[in-house]
Amino acid sequence: MIAPPMPIAQEAPLTPRRRGAGAITVLRELLRRPNGSIGVAILVIFSVFAIVPALFVGPLETVITADGPRLGPPSAEYPFGTDELGRSMLNLTVHATRISMVIGLLATLITVGVGVFVGILSGYVGGRFDAVAMRIADFFLVMPTFVLAIVLTAVIRDVVGSVSREIAGIRLSLLIIVVVIGLTSWSSTARIIRSQVLSLKERAFVDRARVIGASPGHIMLRHLLPNVTNLVVANAVLTFAGAILTETTLSFIGLGDPSQPSWGQLLEASQRASAPGLGAWWYFVPPGAAVVLVVFAFTLVGNALDEIMNPRRRARG
Amino acid sequence: MSVRYVGRRLMTAVLTIGMIVLLNFVLFRMMPGSPERILLGRIPNVSSEVLQATRERWGLDKPLVPDQFVAYVGSTLGGDLGFSYGERGRPVAAVLEQHLWPTLLLFGLGEVVAIILGLALGAYSGWRRGGLIDHIGNGVSLVLYATPYFLLGMGLLLVFASGLHWFPTFGMSDVGRQYKDAFDQLIDIGRHLALPLATVSLGLVGQYAILMRSSVIETMTEDYITTAHAKGLTEGRVLRSHALPNALLPTVSLVAINLGYVIAGAITVEIVFNWPGLGTLTVEALESRDYPVLQGIFLLLSVTVVFANLAADLLYGILDPRVRT
Amino acid sequence: MRTRLAVRLGRFIALAALVAAGLVPGAANAGVQPLVLNVGTDQDLTNLNPWQSITVADYEVFTIQYELLVSYDISLQPAPGFADEWSSSDDGMTHTFHIREGMRWSDGEPATCEDARWTYQFVLDVLASEDGYVGSGYLEPYISNTGLESVECTDANTLVARTSHPTTLMDDVYIPILPAHIWSQYSQAQISNTEAEDYFANEPPVVGSGPYVAVEWEPGEFIRFARNENYWGDPGVPDEIIFRTFGGSDTMVQALRNGELDYVRGTGADEFDALATEPNIRVSEGFSNGYTMLSMNTRATQEGYNGSTSALEDHAFRDAIGYAIDRQELVDRVLNGHGVPGSTHVPPYHVKWHVEPTTPRTFDIDEANRRLDAAGYARGADGIRVDKDGKPINLRLTWPSSEDHATDAQFIQGWFEQLGIGVEAFVTDEGTLIDDLYGPPAGGEADWDMYIWGWVGDPDPGSLLGLFTTDQIEAGVNDCFYSDERYDQLFQEQLEATDEAVRKEKIAEMQQLFYDAACYHILYYDNTLDAQRTDKFTGWTNQPPESGTPLFGYGYAGYMQLQDASAVPTPGPTTAATTAPGATQAPAATTPPAGSTGSDMTVPLLVGAVAVIAVIAGGFWFTRRRGPRVEEE
Repeated sequence: MIAPPMPIAQEAPLTPRRRGAGAITVLRELLRRPNGSIGVAILVIFSVFAIVPALFVGPLETVITADGPRLGPPSAEYPFGTDELGRSMLNLTVHATRISMVIGLLATLITVGVGVFVGILSGYVGGRFDAVAMRIADFFLVMPTFVLAIVLTAVIRDVVGSVSREIAGIRLSLLIIVVVIGLTSWSSTARIIRSQVLSLKERAFVDRARVIGASPGHIMLRHLLPNVTNLVVANAVLTFAGAILTETTLSFIGLGDPSQPSWGQLLEASQRASAPGLGAWWYFVPPGAAVVLVVFAFTLVGNALDEIMNPRRRARG
Repeated sequence: MSVRYVGRRLMTAVLTIGMIVLLNFVLFRMMPGSPERILLGRIPNVSSEVLQATRERWGLDKPLVPDQFVAYVGSTLGGDLGFSYGERGRPVAAVLEQHLWPTLLLFGLGEVVAIILGLALGAYSGWRRGGLIDHIGNGVSLVLYATPYFLLGMGLLLVFASGLHWFPTFGMSDVGRQYKDAFDQLIDIGRHLALPLATVSLGLVGQYAILMRSSVIETMTEDYITTAHAKGLTEGRVLRSHALPNALLPTVSLVAINLGYVIAGAITVEIVFNWPGLGTLTVEALESRDYPVLQGIFLLLSVTVVFANLAADLLYGILDPRVRT
Repeated sequence: MRTRLAVRLGRFIALAALVAAGLVPGAANAGVQPLVLNVGTDQDLTNLNPWQSITVADYEVFTIQYELLVSYDISLQPAPGFADEWSSSDDGMTHTFHIREGMRWSDGEPATCEDARWTYQFVLDVLASEDGYVGSGYLEPYISNTGLESVECTDANTLVARTSHPTTLMDDVYIPILPAHIWSQYSQAQISNTEAEDYFANEPPVVGSGPYVAVEWEPGEFIRFARNENYWGDPGVPDEIIFRTFGGSDTMVQALRNGELDYVRGTGADEFDALATEPNIRVSEGFSNGYTMLSMNTRATQEGYNGSTSALEDHAFRDAIGYAIDRQELVDRVLNGHGVPGSTHVPPYHVKWHVEPTTPRTFDIDEANRRLDAAGYARGADGIRVDKDGKPINLRLTWPSSEDHATDAQFIQGWFEQLGIGVEAFVTDEGTLIDDLYGPPAGGEADWDMYIWGWVGDPDPGSLLGLFTTDQIEAGVNDCFYSDERYDQLFQEQLEATDEAVRKEKIAEMQQLFYDAACYHILYYDNTLDAQRTDKFTGWTNQPPESGTPLFGYGYAGYMQLQDASAVPTPGPTTAATTAPGATQAPAATTPPAGSTGSDMTVPLLVGAVAVIAVIAGGFWFTRRRGPRVEEE
């Protein structure tokens, strides 16, 4: 990840809850807060862009279909201007939303999935598994994972060979980025979940389950998982922001895929076309603003969630 | 701080470095192409004697484990990181050394500036919670946190270098310029340093400010602060002698933890400003798939971060009596 | 404990103050400085050993430091170099060069016929050796094309060269004459093999005979040349020349605008157009002596070759897809008009030799489709055509990481899609690509389908023609595996033709043959776009004047034309006052080219200011709204 999770108190004492209960409450609380509601609103807008970009700006413009002026400034016809191939920046930025968001989402799923799996197992099973898993987690926590991500992406891409095969509509080269982000950023989630599980483990309801003969798998799945859900969600929100930043940066340094533009890819293209030097600010401001807005929104939501789920800080204020 | 505490930290650091070397070895063997070719750089016509000598030196004619691994670890410890592809045949260690100092200068100073500003801003806004500075600082911190370093850099470059011509656009000094004296040279480097330094500091300052703010707020509600107030100490006195020193603790560890993330930012900031450091080197190595250099960078940076963490842990041990067990 | 922390914090603050003091802009000033010509290029210098030269920058570096036996003047005509007079016998097989008397190397040693003899003999020895080439293998063909058999010094200043056939190419040998007293100490392996024991890298200070010699080199950063006090001719005006390597043309152009550079090689098309209108800047658009092409693996599925489809081996297929490339569109959209649509492999730069093909493939998607249908490549159910083995045709298209052809690739992808041909486009590391390209005769596996890259030629078209003789397949140079006996024969005949009309006829036929073979589709001849500042140096002269660029040509003539702008009488006192300080003092302090750039920046500045205000206001609003709320709960 590029940026560390915002420093928030992660180990809030949670009362045992049934799965799903409270989710509505949390959402209502979230929307009641100005920062939360604004964050959610921004995310909803971008999600819509990501799901149906063509509805707003038509299909993705290619070099063949583009007909705008070369590096044209914003105009009535091209509200965000055009790039050096005459493609509408509005079209590109909106379409890039999908790639950026999907990569962010997939990377978050992997990160959180691995993190939760390792965290719960480590916290509940303990012993040698815990020791080894946490050693590895520490390793990833300490390491400059971004540099590792660069090396890994380059190596894997060269090993896999020519890279334009597609899996579920996403090019392999982008999936490699997803996997690399996931692999290098699961450890903080695992740490947080583990410490939560360690405290939950001592609770009466877990003991009760154990006494009535529930299997460890059952306890982990049915009792522990639901009780860390809130924590997972709060963590996932920040992970998502981090994943988008990481993808943007990896693409910016040239590890993206030009035929499936993400925001980072567009920023790289603008740098390559010398947009800053030419004063073609419209080339990099839209994708740049999109990145900042989305990450900002995720941070707002993350902080709001933290306030909601961390009563200690609220009470103190 | 007990010997046991220090010993445990040292053990962890050594173990982590071991894992880094192991990972590096695995990556090295994963790469496409024969390993001796990777070691020798991509030179078209290498004589068979040279190939053979390389094989022997790195143990490539022996089994993977343990011989090759041992040879690899031995070479790595001896500072032999192979040869660069991109800069035909130059040893990786020499390439790294050349690019290390600019990065140290930029990011050392960047950290210092960010820490001072961040702590000051955070402490003040935490202390005067809800005040004007608090609100503005908080908002700006949040936005800065969401902005990738390179975007920040592109913006500063556009406005202050290309637009207003206040600062040069690239590099670390005017090439080929003869300096009257050391001071003259210092000023030249300073002018080149200003924008990248501002980018790095701005990128970092938000995080430090937010952390400092929240820990000051936490500390201010502790019992001993209340006691201090009760004793009739002034607000400023309470802040300086009680709240601040205690709030500094978490920040110490954040600086160390941050180092790993800062490096990511370093890479992109250096690209934007053409700063001749490790970040620029990383991208060049990436473009030419200069794996030995990439691996060298990875090794160097990760070991640095491990040591920084170790230092932070030990410092934490000294500062906070509670961990002196 | 606490006091210690406070002390440390205090020290930090003191240090920060010190740093801040050093950052005050505009304080820079310096004493008398050498007049430096700062040149920016995006090509990285890899080596100072001329035999390892690959890039244009590599060539330029040895050209400044060493004399060619016969050099080039600003009109690209033969000019005195290491030799001051030269002549050939009537049969064109004995060539006599008079080496200038009293010449010295930069280290003071005499420069004589022996140096020239050693250099040419070294190449002859290399050609006869088991390897057959030295270093990058790009320089020896200049000797082998002449048919040079022997070279000797009849006295200290007379070099006699004998060739096996008549030739006019002895004046066009682009090989630097090296100081024998230094280079003869090293073996062929030490010069050729960068990994050899005691490899000779020719590190600075370099001993040369040209007007400037390298004195400092920071790989990947810059190389600095100082004036060679022993140079035989009039000294150049710049005291020093610095080549600086850049990651991209963006920063390079900015540096030119700020006065930090005096010359930029290779700007982007849009930057070039912007620079053309700016004051104190001169632009030069050089016709390319080279081309960018789409190369095809014409032995795709033969034994040992690893192309993905046998269709590439079929001339009809390669010919057909040539109709689906809109070369004019590429020139307009990719080069922004700074180029010429491609046809044959001898660029129009060679006005004397270029001949348009008689049967040009003009862009016509329908025609391409018709031809593919006729050749028997039917479309499968998914619309993708299948080859004769029943395999869908999905071609891999790549280009080297050192060049930016992603846009070209996107166009080709788009056009071929309309033919029912799938294209996977991706960039490949340059070194890896070179390895991949080699066919079995050159020790490789030819694991590729199509790639985009280019070639650059010499003042004589011979080198561009010589790339595609059959024997060059083994050398790895003829990388589309073109082989035609008639072509080989014509190549030899044109080498030996001493009559220009006869030679032109043969070269014309060679162009037609190669064009018809559809082994390369030449996409365009992309112009070289350079820019210069005119407020520090004047006298910029293009080489050749009608179609070239001042520097990075052939020989060093362009450098010797430069004049100190502050020494030249200027039309008005105002101009003199603004340009003079910049010319003699810190380059960075030069008056910025206000006018156009200043107004260009207004919008971004406004955007920046608005953004900052928005951020602060937004932040204020968020926290203000949140603050009291948190507190009341």
